[in-house]
Amino acid sequence: MRQDTATLVKAAFATVLGILSVPLAGSTDARAQVDQPFPPYNPYPPLPGSVPPTVLPPDLQSELFRVRREVETVYDRYFAEWQALTPTPTYSGNPPILVPNGYQAQRILGGLLNFDENISPFQNIACASCHMPYAAFSGPIPSVNLTMVAYPGTFRDRAAKRTAQRYTYSHTFPVLNYNSTQGLFFGGNFWDGRATGYKLQTPDAEQAQGPPVDPLEMGFPDTACIAFRLSSADYRQLFELVWGADFDIRWPGNTAEICATPNGAARFGGSATPIALSAVDRTKATNIYDHWGQSLSFLERSVDVSPFNSKFDAFLKGTYTLTADEMAGFELFNGKGNCNSCHVDGRSTNLTSGQTDTGNPASVQPLFTCHGFANEGLPINPRLPLYYESVPDRFGFTPNPDGLRYRDLGLGNFLRSGPQSFPNPNQPDWLSLAPTVDGQQQVMTARDVALTPPQCPTTEAGQVGPNGPIPYFQKEFFHNGYIKSLKQLVHFYNTRDSVPNPNGNTTYAFPVTSGHCPAGTVERVTCWPQPEVLNNIDMTTGALGLTDQEENQIVVFMQTLTDGFDPANPTVSTYRNIDTFTGQCPIAPPGVTASNQGNETLTPVWNLTQFPCATDICGVPPVPSPPIP
Amino acid sequence: MNRLLLKLAVTAVAGVLLYSNPICAQNPPPQPRAEHVEIIKGPALEISHDDLAIVRWTTTNPGGDDDHYAVIHYGTDPNDLSQTTKNHIRLNRTHSETIFRVRMDGLKPQTTYYYKVTSTGSGGESDGVESAVNHFTTAAPGQVTSAFPQPE
Repeated sequence: MRQDTATLVKAAFATVLGILSVPLAGSTDARAQVDQPFPPYNPYPPLPGSVPPTVLPPDLQSELFRVRREVETVYDRYFAEWQALTPTPTYSGNPPILVPNGYQAQRILGGLLNFDENISPFQNIACASCHMPYAAFSGPIPSVNLTMVAYPGTFRDRAAKRTAQRYTYSHTFPVLNYNSTQGLFFGGNFWDGRATGYKLQTPDAEQAQGPPVDPLEMGFPDTACIAFRLSSADYRQLFELVWGADFDIRWPGNTAEICATPNGAARFGGSATPIALSAVDRTKATNIYDHWGQSLSFLERSVDVSPFNSKFDAFLKGTYTLTADEMAGFELFNGKGNCNSCHVDGRSTNLTSGQTDTGNPASVQPLFTCHGFANEGLPINPRLPLYYESVPDRFGFTPNPDGLRYRDLGLGNFLRSGPQSFPNPNQPDWLSLAPTVDGQQQVMTARDVALTPPQCPTTEAGQVGPNGPIPYFQKEFFHNGYIKSLKQLVHFYNTRDSVPNPNGNTTYAFPVTSGHCPAGTVERVTCWPQPEVLNNIDMTTGALGLTDQEENQIVVFMQTLTDGFDPANPTVSTYRNIDTFTGQCPIAPPGVTASNQGNETLTPVWNLTQFPCATDICGVPPVPSPPIP
Repeated sequence: MNRLLLKLAVTAVAGVLLYSNPICAQNPPPQPRAEHVEIIKGPALEISHDDLAIVRWTTTNPGGDDDHYAVIHYGTDPNDLSQTTKNHIRLNRTHSETIFRVRMDGLKPQTTYYYKVTSTGSGGESDGVESAVNHFTTAAPGQVTSAFPQPE
C-alpha cells in the first residue's frame, strides 16, 4: 500500500476521530468492526402493530457488515485479476488504442471502482454495497428488500426512497430523448430518467456519477473527492493506464477532512464544490470523475454484468428447449399477458389470432424493455425511510423537509428539477411536458428479475421442490418495493383494476392506502390500495383475465431470463461472482407463499388528507393535471 | 436460398441493426397504420366504483404508433359529452386485436354517464373509429358494479 501524503493526512484525521479508517492489507476484520465514526441518524418512528415495528430491520447492522465483507471479497478478486493481467496492455496505433487486452483492463478497472469502499466519506460503502452480483446487481439484503427498501448510505442510517435497480442491461438505455413523433420519452437511467447522458453520451455512466455525491447514498460533498480518493487507490496505476496520468492536482490542506464529511452538512452552505480548487485542477478532477463513470459503464455492459446467457438466450440459439410451463408462460407473456408490449422480446410480428409463431426472432438479443416510462399505479409504500427523514441530523442536514408530503412523481418531478432528483438540463424543451409524465417510472428490463444466489434459488416464498421446501431470497420490485414477489408482480398487472367473475367483474381495487384494506380482503391478493399517482396511469394492463395457473406460468417464464445458464451444466450458474453471498436463505413459515410474502410487514399509511402533496413537488409550474392531493 | 441461410441473413441484419444503434431493434419504425379499424367488442363498462369507472372495448389492431391512447368523451347529458379523458395503451404488434381501456376518476355515485369512445395514436391522430353513444351508471357509495361479464 502506498503511503502518500493524502493517505497520511487521512490517517491523522481518522485518528483524531477515534477510528482507524485507512485500509491496510489484511484488515478486513478490523474494518468490518467499524462502520462509521458517529452514532447513526435515526429519525424513524415506531410502527406499532407492524412486523418489524421499526423502519430499520433488526438485523440491519449485521447484514451491512456481511455485505461489506462480500464487497471486499469481490474487490480482491478484481485486484488479483489485474495483477495477473498479461501481457500488460500498451498503446498502439493512431489513435492510440490499448492492446491486446484493453477490454479486460477497462472491465477490471470498472470492477475495482465498483467495489471500492473508499469512494465514500466514511469508507464504508461502495457502489456495489447496494448492488451485488448475486442479486443481478440489485439490493443484497433480504430484510432491507422486505422492509425499508432503500439502502442506508455512508452515514447510517440515512436512506432514500426507491429500490436499488439492477445494473444488468442498463447500458442499453439511450440518451434521454423526447420522441416528438411518438410523444414519449425514451432512455435515461435511474427510475426517473434523471441520468440523461447529455454529457458523457451514455446515461449509464452518468448514473454511476449520482450515488457518490448523493447525501443519502455514498455521500461525498464534492465530486472532486473521487479524484482525491482515487489518487491513493491501490489501482491508481491501472486508472492512469486506461485514462492517462492526470492526478497532478494541488489539493487544499482541508481536502481530506472535507471528503470525510457527508454531503448536505450545513457547514458547506449548499455548495457543490467545497474543495477550493483552481480552475485547471477542478477540470482535472472533473475529468477523473467522468472517466470513473465511464469505466463503471463499461463494467455494466461487460460479460461480468450483462452476458446474454440466460435460458431464454439458449432457447433462441436452439441449445435449450423450454419446458411445458416455460413455453406456456412465454406464450402468455406475448399473448394474454401482453407483457411484451412494453417488455419487448424481439418476437415475430403481425401474427393473426390463433397462429403459432414460427418466424425468426426480430432480435437475437432482446432487451425486454421498450426503454420508455410508465405509471403502473403502484400504491404508496409507507416503509420508505425518506418519509420520516424530516428532522436535521448531526451535520445539520435534513434529507426530506417535505416529510409525509412527499409524493413520487418520477419523471415528472425530474422535468421540474424537483426535490430528491437532478436539475433538468433541457428545461426549454421539456419542462412543459412534465404534467404528461407525472407518476411515470422507467420500464426496466425484465432480464434477471429472478436472479438470486445459488443457495436461495428463487425469489418466491413457499416453493416446494423434490427435496422439500426451497429457500428463497427476498427481492424488491418496482420503483418503491411495494411488490415483494414475482407472483405478486404478475398478479398486480393482472388484477389491479378488475377481475373476471361469471356474474360480472369484481374488483380488488379499493379507495384505501396500504395497511387499510377492508376486512375480508388480503392486501396484495384480493386488495390493491389506490395508486400513489392517479395521473397518466397506463391502462395496457390491469385486467388481463389470467388464471392463477397462468400467472404462475408467466413467473416461470420470467425465471428463464436469468443469466448464467450453461446448457452443458444447467445446475451451476456461470454468472460472475454469484458465489459471493454469505447470508442466510430462509424457508418460508407455514402459510407464507409468494402471494402473500411480506404481508407481515404491512403498516398503515398515514391520513393523506392531513399531509397533502408538498408545494415544491405538486405546486411547481406546470403543475400536475389534474392536481395531486 | 435455404432456410438456414435465410435465418442467418435475418440474424445478421438484426445483429447489424443492434450493433449500430441498440434502440433500433427495440423500437423499430411504426408498423403501417391499418387501412380500416373497427370496434369488434364493446365498449362497455368494465368496472365501476362510486367515484370511478373503467370502460373497455376491443378494436382490430390499428397499427401505426406502438403508443396509443384510449379516449372517452362523456357527460351526464347524452347531448353534451364535453368531458374527456384518455389513458395510454401500448399496442402489441403480435396481436391482431387491441384492447382499449380508459379510466375516469372524480365521478359521482349512482349517476348515469353517457359516453362515446375513440382511440388515437401518440400524436393525437384518430384511428378513424368512434363508437355510438353508450351509458353506464356508477355504483352506490361503497359499492362496485360492472356490466361487462368477462374480459378476454
